[in-house]
Amino acid sequence: MTEATQATEEPKGTPYRPEKGASPAIIELRGVRKEFKRGSEQLVVLNGLDLEVPEGSFEALMGPSGSGKSTLLNLIAGLDKPTGGSARVAGQELSKMTDGELAKFRARHIGFIFQAYNLIPVLTALENVELPLLLTSLPAAERKKRSQTALRVVGLEERMSHYPRQLSGGQEQRVAVARAIVNDPTIIVADEPTGDLDRKAADEILDLLGRLNQEFKKTILMVTHDPAAADRATVLRKLDKGTLV
Amino acid sequence: MKLFLISARNVLRNRGRTFLTVLGAAVAILAFIMLRTILSAWTVAAEYAAKDRIATRHKVTFVMQLPKRYIDTIRETPGVKKATWMNWFGARDPKRPDDFFANMAVDPKTFLEVYDEVVVADADKQRWYEDRQGAIIGANLAKKMGLKVGDKVTLEGSIYPGDWTFNVSGIYTATRKSFDDSQFLFHWNYLNDSLPERRRDEIGWVVSRVDDPGKGASISQAIDSVFDQRDTQTTTMSERAMNLSFLGMFSAILTALDIVSVIILAIMMMILGNTIAMGVRERTREFAVLRAIGFTPGHVRTFIIGEAAFFGVLSGVVGVLLAYPIVQQGMGRWLEENMGGFFPYFRIEPMTVALALGLSVALGIGASLLPAARAAKLPVTEALRRVA
Repeated sequence: MTEATQATEEPKGTPYRPEKGASPAIIELRGVRKEFKRGSEQLVVLNGLDLEVPEGSFEALMGPSGSGKSTLLNLIAGLDKPTGGSARVAGQELSKMTDGELAKFRARHIGFIFQAYNLIPVLTALENVELPLLLTSLPAAERKKRSQTALRVVGLEERMSHYPRQLSGGQEQRVAVARAIVNDPTIIVADEPTGDLDRKAADEILDLLGRLNQEFKKTILMVTHDPAAADRATVLRKLDKGTLV
Repeated sequence: MKLFLISARNVLRNRGRTFLTVLGAAVAILAFIMLRTILSAWTVAAEYAAKDRIATRHKVTFVMQLPKRYIDTIRETPGVKKATWMNWFGARDPKRPDDFFANMAVDPKTFLEVYDEVVVADADKQRWYEDRQGAIIGANLAKKMGLKVGDKVTLEGSIYPGDWTFNVSGIYTATRKSFDDSQFLFHWNYLNDSLPERRRDEIGWVVSRVDDPGKGASISQAIDSVFDQRDTQTTTMSERAMNLSFLGMFSAILTALDIVSVIILAIMMMILGNTIAMGVRERTREFAVLRAIGFTPGHVRTFIIGEAAFFGVLSGVVGVLLAYPIVQQGMGRWLEENMGGFFPYFRIEPMTVALALGLSVALGIGASLLPAARAAKLPVTEALRRVA
């Protein structure tokens, strides 16, 4: 628990605190539309979507390919902006933010876990985990301490100086999880986190996500095609043709 | 860990590619240094010319001769301390007809007074003065021709046809960078007395020392005005200007070298630009991930430009390290020994090194600007989707 406390210490800025009387939802989408242009064709990917995710929940998002899952995740994570409607995440209205403000929002509130791990191959596990902290004003010793703690949480304290090529797929994904939690984000978004893993490694990652949700009270939003992964979530939502069903 | 460490590590990510890129760019830098050194060495005689020496030649060209009596008139000009004269002899060693070296007929005593940077042992000097067929030769030329004091040497004349035999009276060295120590200097009287009557008493040009270097221009004007009304008019100029006018004959070559050095830098920029663009394309996903976790487009640009700067520094340093043994020690020594007339002092200038290093970094950065701007502009979601 000591480790947990260290890992969740506030690195910088004001943590998310719901306003008194406000909705307990940490993610609140109202009438969100997202359209893309492909040539002269206008594609409607999300069509007036409403969604509320309470703080501390672990939600899985399923749906067929092209249903808009990743687009929805990208909007919530501040990687993209909605064409219409309101997207309020961690108390901030994302649709009105500039690109610079969105970058700051992501650095402060979002932890990313990708299907393909996406570690930087020229950096060690410890250096990969430290990356998000380079955007803070924390001193080098403190950054290192927090990165070591995050790697300890995911059980990779023995592999800190290993490069991604020296790790298995499951270990790489655990490093990615450590990178996602090192700056104590408000929300963890995971896009097919077990998609590239065998069953055993996938279960280890899902155990880890469950632990982050249960012990560290992290809100987790996970896109998955894997029913076993969806079973670990506390809430399952299904998306089809840009609408929650 | 610091942000710049990521750029530095990325340079070494693909060691084979980095090695070849740095080597390619370093060879370009080496060629640049070589060309710039040729340019600076070519003009070294002009740059290091004596400030108190002026030269008087035929107004049309220094190829045309002046009457010998002009030397007396020049010596009488107020401000002129000493004056000497010489003729370009233009002979070759028949054993090595392709080896060029400067050979001139001079008046020994006044020559050594005006060119006091020429160092000859007293005994050698005396021997030269007393032997009408005597010659002094530069230490470099003596080494190259395998000559020593007391040897006889025959040269084959072209401007003054025939075989000309000389006795080696002494070997000289020079204390001034601009003075070629590969010259062959012999008695003007020996040449003059051997010529048919109609070609006698003609001199190539006159070199004078003046009291006050600051008055060189007015003294030059005074000399020329004396000869203005004569059949043969003169042009008098500083030694520096004289040397430059000689170099002027090669201005097309110098301009070509200048242009080639710029082309070489453009090639280097393309080599670096190609490597950087390839690296950026391959790492689109990594940049997208960095952007996703909160890094800004500015950070991405900095990573890429920083990486290019590392490439530039590496290429510049390797190029300079290669240049010293190849350009200065190898090529430079050879040029000084074999083409001392053109390159009496062939050394890489510190300014050339600074320019090479500065330009390699600047061009590396320049080559990365477009890939950096493109990578920073790419929407994160598109970049993640493109390669995921």
